[in-house]
Amino acid sequence: MGKFNVLQHDLVPEHHVVPKSEEDKVLKELEIAKDLLPKISRSDPAIKALEEIHGPLDTGTIIRIVRRSPTMGYSTYYRVITSEVFK
Amino acid sequence: MTVILFKDTKKNMETLKKKAPCKYAVDAEISADITDAYITTDKKFFTYRLRLTGTQEFKPSDEIILKNKNEMKTVLLVDSSQLIDPMPLSQFRKKGKKIQEFADFDIVELPTIKIEEKPAYRDTLPQDVRDVLEIASKKKMGIPVSIAEKLVKYRKDLSPEKFEELIDRIGDDLKKKSIDPHEAVGIIAAQSIGEPGTQMTMRTFHFAGVREMNVTLGLPRLIEIVDARRIPSTPSMTVYLKPEFEENEEVVMKVVKELENTTILDVASIITDIQQMTLAIKPEPSRMKERLVNTQDLIDALAKMKGITIMNQDDSEIILKPQQESYKRLYQVQENLKTTTIKGIQGIKRAIARIDPPTKKWILYTQGSNLREVLEVDEVDANRTYTNDIIEISTVLGVEAARNAIFNEALRTLSEQGLEVDKRHLMLVADMMTFGGSVRAVGRQGISGRKSSVLARAAFEITTKHLLRAGLLGEVDPLTGVAENIIVGQPITLGTGAVNLVYRPSGKSQ
Repeated sequence: MGKFNVLQHDLVPEHHVVPKSEEDKVLKELEIAKDLLPKISRSDPAIKALEEIHGPLDTGTIIRIVRRSPTMGYSTYYRVITSEVFK
Repeated sequence: MTVILFKDTKKNMETLKKKAPCKYAVDAEISADITDAYITTDKKFFTYRLRLTGTQEFKPSDEIILKNKNEMKTVLLVDSSQLIDPMPLSQFRKKGKKIQEFADFDIVELPTIKIEEKPAYRDTLPQDVRDVLEIASKKKMGIPVSIAEKLVKYRKDLSPEKFEELIDRIGDDLKKKSIDPHEAVGIIAAQSIGEPGTQMTMRTFHFAGVREMNVTLGLPRLIEIVDARRIPSTPSMTVYLKPEFEENEEVVMKVVKELENTTILDVASIITDIQQMTLAIKPEPSRMKERLVNTQDLIDALAKMKGITIMNQDDSEIILKPQQESYKRLYQVQENLKTTTIKGIQGIKRAIARIDPPTKKWILYTQGSNLREVLEVDEVDANRTYTNDIIEISTVLGVEAARNAIFNEALRTLSEQGLEVDKRHLMLVADMMTFGGSVRAVGRQGISGRKSSVLARAAFEITTKHLLRAGLLGEVDPLTGVAENIIVGQPITLGTGAVNLVYRPSGKSQ
């Protein structure tokens, strides 16, 4: 790891790991199947940084993203980790 | 953190990976208190990391894996071995300074920071605002923070019941204003961005400069953003310095020099002598002065190149010769020389420092972009520095950062032209472009080309290709979108057309 933290950058919103026990609650609230959620690659720099804190994250883990929104103040978004790696 | 660096073969590393935890003998003396080793296979990038539990003196035994056939001195107790992202030598420090040359079994420092999550924005809001949001979220509605801030003022004048009623009324209002189910948001967004787009073509065309720097603006820039170009036509960075350096002109100028990439061709001309098979580099004093380079820097840069010998050097001319005498080699060396970096970061053609009048703080603007390396510069505030190259942001900072970048760039491009587009439309575009985990263009190569419906894709572009492919593969079209329903002559699945009526003869619901 380098000496700067991706998660602290102004452009990067808060990323939180949704615990396995809360996944069903989240999916029920959104009325959506897990594979229909927006994706985030497992090689994404933000996921790599999260792995430094939480240990390895499996594909299929849901990530809660809290964005600063100009209309709402802040808004919550969810992404699910995929094994797809983008070049 | 103190770490050890050495060179090894890929084969050795793979065996360690398989057999870890194990013992590994190396031919150097190492002190005991080291927990990490970084291994390079090509002397350029470090690709393996060994976690060590300790070291031992070497004693011949069968269980120990040997590094090579030399005499062994130390045994490393390897806990695990893993493949990591290639790390350049520039990330390591020795006594606080960058390492110039790689040495085997060098003990160096690796500046690391503890990775922590950002403090939640919600927790930074004042307590009374959070209370209001809490009441609203209990009623299963999200109210904007700005409205919650206004509500705080009224709260003390109202009884709790009245206040809840107020929130209920706000909830009703928000519900009325929220978008209806099955509304065609995409089409509304397309029209809302498209219409001002036509105004843009008429009013401006190309550039507007930051002093001597050109930055693409207006319609060409907007097209660049939605097309998700690999490299924008005018990549540019805005570099902020850490707060303690922001007002120190000396440091600012030092950073400018550190960033600006100077190649040999920038400060000198290269002359090829075919008869003698030599190359002459003639430094041009005026350009050398402008770029703050001296002859010694030039020679240092040449010394790092392989396959050449410096024949003669003085202030006006440096003569060098390829070690292999052939015209092909001569030509290759000449081509290499042109792009040899004397100093600076690759890709950054120019850096300009400008003082921000209201705050009296220095901000650097660059032509060319290399986010990853600029963020590693010690004086740079890595948390605020950004680039206009969206693809680069997505590889260095991730999709979510790229999504924010698309939104910010598009909004800025439009507002610079004096056009006002509702932010929500741009958010939709940014969200769609980053939906799959990477930045995807809007057009045929991107979102439109990946629709699930065959007929919708065929209606957009390259009709025959899609129809033929669908026929060969036996694709099924469930007719859930708009375009395909128009083609077959059914009501489209939007608004009231999306509602289906189901008759239950039993008379009971569900």
